[in-house]
Amino acid sequence: MTTAHREKVRKKLNDIFCEVFNDDDIVISENMTADDIEEWDSLMHVTLIVAIEGEFGIQLNAAEIGQLENIGAMLALLEKLPEE
Amino acid sequence: MKSADKKERLKRIKEDIGREKFEEAFLSLKRISEPEDAFFLQHKYCALFNSIPKDVIKLTNVRIAILAGSTVTHFVAVFKYWLAQTGLSAVIYEAGYDTVSQSILDPASSLYSFAPDITMIFTSYRDLKFDVGQGASIEDSNKAVEEAVEGYVTLWEQLKKNSSTFIIQNNADLPSCRTLGNYEGTAPWGRVSLLRAFNVALAKAVQAGVALFDLEYISSVYGKRKWHDSRFWYHSKHAFSLDATGLVAFEAARLVGSIKGFSKKCLVLDLDNTLWGGIIGDDGVHGIVLGNGAAGEAFVDFQQYLLGLKNRGIILTVCSKNEEELAKEPFLQHPDMQLKLEDIAVFKANWEDKVANISAIADELNIGLEHMVFVDDNPAEREIVRKYLPMVAIPDMPEDPSGYIEALDRHSYFEVISFSDADQVRNEYYRDNVSRKQLRTQSRDLTEYLQSLRMEATVSRFDDLNLARIAQLINKSNQFHLTTTRYTETEIAAMMSDKQKHCLYFRLKDCFGDNGLISVVILEEQEGDTLYIDTWSMSCRVFARGMEQFIANEIVLLARQRNVQSIIGKYVPTRKNKIVSDLYEKLHFSLVQEQDGVTMWELPLTGNPPVYETYINKLTLD
Repeated sequence: MTTAHREKVRKKLNDIFCEVFNDDDIVISENMTADDIEEWDSLMHVTLIVAIEGEFGIQLNAAEIGQLENIGAMLALLEKLPEE
Repeated sequence: MKSADKKERLKRIKEDIGREKFEEAFLSLKRISEPEDAFFLQHKYCALFNSIPKDVIKLTNVRIAILAGSTVTHFVAVFKYWLAQTGLSAVIYEAGYDTVSQSILDPASSLYSFAPDITMIFTSYRDLKFDVGQGASIEDSNKAVEEAVEGYVTLWEQLKKNSSTFIIQNNADLPSCRTLGNYEGTAPWGRVSLLRAFNVALAKAVQAGVALFDLEYISSVYGKRKWHDSRFWYHSKHAFSLDATGLVAFEAARLVGSIKGFSKKCLVLDLDNTLWGGIIGDDGVHGIVLGNGAAGEAFVDFQQYLLGLKNRGIILTVCSKNEEELAKEPFLQHPDMQLKLEDIAVFKANWEDKVANISAIADELNIGLEHMVFVDDNPAEREIVRKYLPMVAIPDMPEDPSGYIEALDRHSYFEVISFSDADQVRNEYYRDNVSRKQLRTQSRDLTEYLQSLRMEATVSRFDDLNLARIAQLINKSNQFHLTTTRYTETEIAAMMSDKQKHCLYFRLKDCFGDNGLISVVILEEQEGDTLYIDTWSMSCRVFARGMEQFIANEIVLLARQRNVQSIIGKYVPTRKNKIVSDLYEKLHFSLVQEQDGVTMWELPLTGNPPVYETYINKLTLD
């Protein structure tokens, strides 16, 4: 996996966070969880998931939806996707 | 518009909001947002709408409680957005997850302290469990369905007992998967059969004060395979796909809008390439496309759809750039015309601009522009009307006439919650009204005009038979409505048996026809020997014809029978009811109090009470 690919995925995910939380100043990091972003509640989680699915053109399974409650897990999952 | 283009437009709307161009932002949102848009976009619409200050956009307040057996938090946010686009600012109470019965059955629950105007029992097929085994008899299957319906009817009755809320009840969205395939909808005990029977029985059980929200229809239109997204059911108990949220919220908002009097009342129709193909001025009555061929059949069907709207009370009018005589020819001569001249309440065919013509139509019919829908195949005409009359609803029409019905229908402009005989003949009333106006210009003075109308009116106490129309008059009148009260049918029924209250309705006939039930008055005997006019609303069709005076005479008569000392009237000003701001003054009441524009008026009955001059004969009922 190239660093360039990782950066691309991270940037795309960061943009989704900014859009979903309507805040251009969010900078995501591996350790970030729902506790670090005030508005990240169960509704926003679902909103995030749907946005990620749309942007990355994927469909997560029910178990994965629940597991993605920190950004490290999200990045790990998204980085595994084949490069475009 | 593609999703990516919408995102670009949303960026510009965000900039507009940053520059405090709030009204433009709200209108732009209206322009680009569609119910079918993905949840991600719906979420953005909500966020942008929420960043517009509440007082900038004029909306009517409504309190809605949502009781659901599934997660609806995502729906609530989007619902608020679509309610705003329907004209309503909602405060929403969301009962705890799966506490439908508990909230309703406990009179001390926070549902009742919230005091909702409307309560949505937001259920899905997952809330229905029928205790019917495979191979069960028809009787047992029917019994299970009846019990399920009775369960909901009991909840409605409890809600009505404990509050004056209007109720919206979901029916069952049929699942996409079937254990027994086609046979599941054949055997009476099959789940599909049971759910279908439930939906039919539920509709039959609907009573005054309850409206059905047809989730089965919405899920079908959306597409069952997309509608059911089990992932989000297992993860977080969402009963339908997140991406269907916009459509559900939109349809629910339209239904609420209908309850609150926000449905559209009038269609303004273009002619050439809208009602028929081609240009009547160029092609002539035998050259236009209507009746034969694919396009010709599509135009016929579109006209029939419009006729169906007209028959249920939507006023049809014409606004076309044409010579009037030519424009009328197809109506008079073409064998395939479904619409006849008598179906059209106002016919404007001239060369003036459509903005002026539509405004004139609104004036002649005496209805607000926000109740009008403009249908025109020409995008340029739509755009100019949109610019100058942003309150008029204007659907985008496709180039192909075979898509006209759907293009208009998908907006759910004309949502209704009940149907009265009055709805059927409304178009006639309005057309007669235009004739009345013409007579008025011919008459030399007002007295002569009023006499020539040969008006006759009746007064009656509220009765069950007319309850739907009474509620409609109270809740849909904006112009002639002194106190702006809004009452549900349940509340009205309660007033009918209240001895302190006198509830009257009035009917009016004239030489052009029967205007039907056109005014409602609710009077309350209060301490200190006064009679308070709690509600007085009247159809705008009969303004300034002496009906106000006729009704005032009836109020005085009743006050004298009840031996009260004075009559108290109140006027609560709104953007739309200026027409009655000086009504009490005209009726010789004296101003006794004024606060924040709300005025209180008194008419003492000591001495000789006034008799108001009117040219309306009172008919006594048998």
